[in-house]
Amino acid sequence: MEEKINLLKQDLNKTFENFTNDKKEVKSLNELDLLESKYLGKKSLIAQTLKNINEFPHEVKPFVGKTVNEVRNKIENEIKNLRDELNLIEFDRKLREEKFDLTLPGRLLPLGSKNIINKVIEEIQEIFIGLGYEIAEGPEVETDYYNFEALNHPPDHPARSLHDTFFIDDKILLRTHTSPVQIRYMEKNKPPVYIIAPGKVYRKDYDVTHTPMFTQIEGLAVDNNINFGNLKWTLETLAHSFFGKDRKVRFRPHYFPFTEPSAEVDVSCNICGGKGCRVCSGTGWLEILGAGMVDPNLYKYVNYNPDEVTGFAFGMGIERMAMLKYGIDDLRLFFENDIRFLRQF
Amino acid sequence: MKITYSWLEEFVADLKDFSPQDIANKLTMSGTEVKRLEYTGDKYKNIIIAQIESFIKHPNADKLSLCKVNIGSEILNIVCGANNFKEKDLVALALEGAKIGDFTIKKSKIRGEYSEGMMCSEKELGLSQESEGILILEGNYKLGESFARQVGLDDWVFEIEVTPNRPDCLSVIGIAREISAITGLRFKSLEYDCQNEININKNFQIEIKNLQLCPRYSAKIFKDIVDKKTPDWMKNRLLLCDIRSINLVVDLTNYIMLETGQPLHAFDAELLASNKIIVRTAQKNESITLIDGTVRTLNEDTIVIADEKNAVAIAGIMGGKDTEINEKTKNVFLESANFWGPSIMKTSKKLGLRSEASNRFEKKIDPMLTIIALKRFEELLNKITGQKFEKVIYDCYLDVNRERNINLRFSKIKQILGIDIERKAASLILERLGIKNKISDDYISALVPSFRFEDLEREIDLVEEIARIYGFENIPTQKLDSRSSHGKYSYSQKMTMKIRQTLEDSGFNEVINYSFISLKEFNFFKLNEETSFKDYVRISNPLNEDFEILRTTLLQSLVKNLKDNISRKILNLRIFEISKVFFKDNSGKNNLPIEKTRLAVLLSGKANLKSWNYSERTYDFYDLKGLLEYLFEKFLLKDSLKLLNNEYKFFHPSISADINFNNEKIGIIGKIHPQLVNLLDIRQDVYFMEIDLDNFIIKSDKKQQFKQIPQFPSISIDLAIVIDEKVTNSEVEEEIYKNGGKNLVNLRLFDLYKGKQIEDGKKSLAYSLEFRADDRTLKDLEVEIISKRIIENLNRKFGAVLRQ
Ligand SMILES: [Zn+2]
Repeated sequence: MEEKINLLKQDLNKTFENFTNDKKEVKSLNELDLLESKYLGKKSLIAQTLKNINEFPHEVKPFVGKTVNEVRNKIENEIKNLRDELNLIEFDRKLREEKFDLTLPGRLLPLGSKNIINKVIEEIQEIFIGLGYEIAEGPEVETDYYNFEALNHPPDHPARSLHDTFFIDDKILLRTHTSPVQIRYMEKNKPPVYIIAPGKVYRKDYDVTHTPMFTQIEGLAVDNNINFGNLKWTLETLAHSFFGKDRKVRFRPHYFPFTEPSAEVDVSCNICGGKGCRVCSGTGWLEILGAGMVDPNLYKYVNYNPDEVTGFAFGMGIERMAMLKYGIDDLRLFFENDIRFLRQF
Repeated sequence: MKITYSWLEEFVADLKDFSPQDIANKLTMSGTEVKRLEYTGDKYKNIIIAQIESFIKHPNADKLSLCKVNIGSEILNIVCGANNFKEKDLVALALEGAKIGDFTIKKSKIRGEYSEGMMCSEKELGLSQESEGILILEGNYKLGESFARQVGLDDWVFEIEVTPNRPDCLSVIGIAREISAITGLRFKSLEYDCQNEININKNFQIEIKNLQLCPRYSAKIFKDIVDKKTPDWMKNRLLLCDIRSINLVVDLTNYIMLETGQPLHAFDAELLASNKIIVRTAQKNESITLIDGTVRTLNEDTIVIADEKNAVAIAGIMGGKDTEINEKTKNVFLESANFWGPSIMKTSKKLGLRSEASNRFEKKIDPMLTIIALKRFEELLNKITGQKFEKVIYDCYLDVNRERNINLRFSKIKQILGIDIERKAASLILERLGIKNKISDDYISALVPSFRFEDLEREIDLVEEIARIYGFENIPTQKLDSRSSHGKYSYSQKMTMKIRQTLEDSGFNEVINYSFISLKEFNFFKLNEETSFKDYVRISNPLNEDFEILRTTLLQSLVKNLKDNISRKILNLRIFEISKVFFKDNSGKNNLPIEKTRLAVLLSGKANLKSWNYSERTYDFYDLKGLLEYLFEKFLLKDSLKLLNNEYKFFHPSISADINFNNEKIGIIGKIHPQLVNLLDIRQDVYFMEIDLDNFIIKSDKKQQFKQIPQFPSISIDLAIVIDEKVTNSEVEEEIYKNGGKNLVNLRLFDLYKGKQIEDGKKSLAYSLEFRADDRTLKDLEVEIISKRIIENLNRKFGAVLRQ
């Protein structure tokens, strides 16, 4: 009997060995099915042995059963693993057979755009928010008082002729600059004042380089001990943040009725690198804004004490800033609202 | 204003130490902006002075001559087509390499005869628009020398922009004084000792009616001026400064105006009706024929110069025709006056006449200049004609003190500029600007001279002078830490930016239009008939009729953008604008208009173009409404949105509504009236809405609070009904919500059908209803009971039946 069991053991070992060898040849699910039926099917040694287990004496039957089942489980396990593997390969093959044209166009989402003017305003606002400023606003239709008088332009002042003004009546007009916001803000707030004020302004001028409406940003800082060096630092910071660290900035003395000393501020021309070209009229510099120390006269209008506080103000044209930064060569594009222009920003 | 380097050299000692470029840069960096610097000599390269020795006819051409021309070192053969010359005439000869216009001179054969250059005409030399024959020079010139250098055309021209506060710089001497201050070179002023010439006889009288309007009137009579041409150097210097030569007297007045800043006017003394000049305001309906030939009727506030009979000039603006200098003029009455700027400005604006003279008066020039200019005229005329003139000056003036003492504290300089400037350096800067001063303990006591009387009034004005001459570039930058709490946007600014961003992200392009439109457009859109849009604000001096009134809605601007883009073949538009509109405030006089910020959106054209995987679709009303719902959901509460039919004349009468938020109107939405669209030649439907943005933002949910995420599952049922087609969706929805109870959390219309299987006049609506309770899982039975109740009520109210 012992011999018979030994023989069975040998046969089972042999069978597993054969299985292992046969398994190596299996390349497809079909072949795997054949392999399965060969080793586990009705005619297989394992099935036959289990079927005829009664031929063994009662006391060895559990042992025989256990031995055969061990091998069967091993084989079953291996077959299952192989089947998973082959299934995966087969799945992968099917996916690979799918023909898909990636080059067909996608479903379009419409492309929106912020207006370039607002985009530039937001860029500049961000810079000044970072420096501790707030954003102030004021009406676009103004009184003569806020637009001129309180800004040191008395009625007969020659500087008024620099502004070709649209009037509603003799006392009410379309603001020619955003500077009235300075006065309105200071009337309502005590120092320290750190504001910028963007907005539309109007001048009666219409040609290749002028539109009757354009956009400015005004800035105002009033506090104890603000000086011209602070103004230089602030506007250099602006120019470097907006145009890039590599740009040079220069301050030229100028005249504005409501600042003293007054300056015009230039950045170095990026097109010629400062050597002089058509864009910068050969000077190597591009004018970007006007600025200065707030004229102490203004403080009288808003009840600030000129011996206690000093301040600076500046103003710039947004369209010009945009033209210089984005290389736009025609001012009129800003208000033609050509979708091909709008969509670029 | 243009002036030249050589002219400046006359007033600044050793100017040659600095190149023209250097001077230009220094002027710009001290506040006198040099817009352009041009070297004029280049144009005249290889053009020299030559003398015609002899000439004969060209053997092969009737109209040409063969000339022997002396250039000092040799005699050249020149073929010439002109015939206005004679032997010994001096000419400008262009040699090989010279450029005449686009043409470069070469030695060549002309009809078989050798020519070594070309004798030039004034036109060819760019000295005049038209000329006959070649230029014949008068005067003593060296043969073979550079033509340009000899006649004053070899120079550097500075184009200068003078700020309105510096009328003193509208002159060569003003700029020279600035150069002296920035370089330290010595300024050579024009000075005349002529106190003993003033009003020494009464042969001529001057009467000023109002010394405020005319603070000074000085004059001098020049008798028997010999007939002389303006010398080339003066003519050409004026030419380089853009003033064309007329005759010697007029040229001198212009020359002296540029040099000193004092405008002069020359009358023919014989043509004045009296030996008395009266400066007065014009009489009612008084008129005058001006030099330009126009007849002007004057206002009673216009200052005129008159003899005892008539007005002979409009003061400071233009002289009269009747007393103008002409070729027969022998005796000149030369006016050198000072008029009140604001009055000149007003008159020149009213008459539309601006001149170099009026420009200077407007800015208030120094009355001390009048005598200097008269003396300079005498000096130059004497130099040119060799004549001596009677030493009499007539002068009438308002005697006021035009010197001002200002104390400039060193502490003020430090406070404004942020640096200490050395006391002596500050004092020297003022000194060189012509401001006498002395240093006291902690301040400078400065005496402002007459020529800066108008613009240097206060301590701060002197701080500015110090700063600009010291150089802005020499003032170090100083970091500024703002002491305000922190930078921030207001709530409404933040919301506006968010809304703009939302629209951008939703595929809309932002436009910005002019705030003005034409009245014609306004009426075209029938805005004049709409109460909420009709109160426009009119501009009293519009650019033209296209810019006549301020917008009360963004409607016409966006429609115009559509039309313009269609003309560029861009047919599909999703655009928006956030801008102010303006309404007349009728509540009181002198009120500012009411300004409102509006968000307007326009949709037109195709939503999708035909594509390989989806079909073409045209925008319809519900695209726009969808955006509106999205905005409401994002920024407010969606359920608070309601559209109420309200007819606007510019909208399709059936597709025209008010946008309501909690029963308050905050905008309008609709389809632009097809007839208007047709009239505009727009061949597609146009949808438009406009929201009062200020109001929208006020109502937006400021205090957003977290809501519990539902914990129990919901039950959805579908409900399809057949109902009269006149009943609106919102009426049905309202009824459903009314009966659905608090557990009805969502309602969605998923089908709308009219046609086959549905009776005429009826429609089928299918809704999906979602029920959920916050505290438990709902039972099917509960939902069934509710839906039954809904159907019963829909039936009772609208006769709706369940669709089978
Ligand atoms: Zn450049």
